[in-house]
Amino acid sequence: MCSACGFPAAPGHWTEAGAPTAHDRLRSRMRRAEVLQAVLPFYGLKAYGGGEVPGIQISALSGGESILRDLDEVWALAEKMSGGPVDPLDPRFTGDE
Amino acid sequence: MNAAEGRIRLTVLGGYLGSGKTTWLRHQLHEGRLRGAHVIVNEAAETPVDDALLGRSSTLSVLAGGCVCCAARQDLIDLLRRISDERSKVEGGAARLEQIVLETSGLADPGPIVEAIRSDPVLVYHVVVSEVIVAVDALHSLSQLRGEPLGRRQIEVADRLIVTKVDQVAQGPLQTLLATLSCLNPGAGLSGAVQGVDSPLPDFSEAEPERLPETDQLSPKAPVTPVRLHLDDSIDWTAFTVWLSALLHARGDDIVRVKGVVRTPTGRLLLQTVRKVVQTPEILPEQGDMREDNMIVVIGRGYKAEHLRRSLQYFARRSD
Repeated sequence: MCSACGFPAAPGHWTEAGAPTAHDRLRSRMRRAEVLQAVLPFYGLKAYGGGEVPGIQISALSGGESILRDLDEVWALAEKMSGGPVDPLDPRFTGDE
Repeated sequence: MNAAEGRIRLTVLGGYLGSGKTTWLRHQLHEGRLRGAHVIVNEAAETPVDDALLGRSSTLSVLAGGCVCCAARQDLIDLLRRISDERSKVEGGAARLEQIVLETSGLADPGPIVEAIRSDPVLVYHVVVSEVIVAVDALHSLSQLRGEPLGRRQIEVADRLIVTKVDQVAQGPLQTLLATLSCLNPGAGLSGAVQGVDSPLPDFSEAEPERLPETDQLSPKAPVTPVRLHLDDSIDWTAFTVWLSALLHARGDDIVRVKGVVRTPTGRLLLQTVRKVVQTPEILPEQGDMREDNMIVVIGRGYKAEHLRRSLQYFARRSD
């Protein structure tokens, strides 16, 4: 948005827009790992909640570890490893399974 | 006497979901190009968002909960009659409303709107449709045109096409798009814009237009419909972003648009997506109508509303 007619933009990747302070960001990273950990094991991956690393720590259940910059990279990696995208509307997440 | 003959000039601003209508309009209002205009914003969902962006600029009415080309057409006619009636009561020396800008929902076909206004026995004496402007998303519209008959109908009825986001595409595809638009609607004026600011378009006289399939040959798709998702206290921003980013990655071709205002520790964040592209959230001030905060509208096809809700709850549940 133009700086004259728009409102200020939240800096950083859009998923990090809701955490303005260092404390908020740390808490958000821990929470993000918790949410990912509820999903990724279905796709052969594991997420870590280490607050000391700014990226997203992901390891494959079969071995190997990656530090990814943002969630877009997480979903791309999960798709590559499992042969299909992580679909939040998969029956295992909608309770229809 | 000009063509309007004392009637209110009505500009219809249309364009597909996420094509940049509000961004363009906001900048025009900021630049004072539509000074004194009454702005009407129509949103297909019952959650108006665009008024949060335009509200500080002009006289504004919101028609939410249906497209004015179909379900909410009578609401539009009634509103225009009321505006006309109030204008008629203005005393001779006082300034009278001269212009209305109607921003349609992204699901609206401007054709039936124009037809409804022109054929209304009352409005015909008060309102004249002076221009139909249609915003065209340089990034997504070629793929939309291949599969969405609505996108083509919007372009075909335009007097003027504003090609938005021209800074986000390479010259070759942009020239192909311009040649295609020129083929679909040779009479329409063409101009470019970036964040609402005029931007020059490349020469496309040598470019080949895309060969689009006939609309009757397109495989029938489920209609695009809006779903409202309430982010209650159990849904935190972080869980929501994990969920939404996965959803867009997996189904970005079917989730055409997501928008809403979310309350976070940063403040009120305006969230907007167009297919897989998420705009950097804007931080809105703590003012205006905040009753629809934390109500997200998801516009798309190929899923059930209940599945969206249950899936989001799954992502947001806590392990302790």
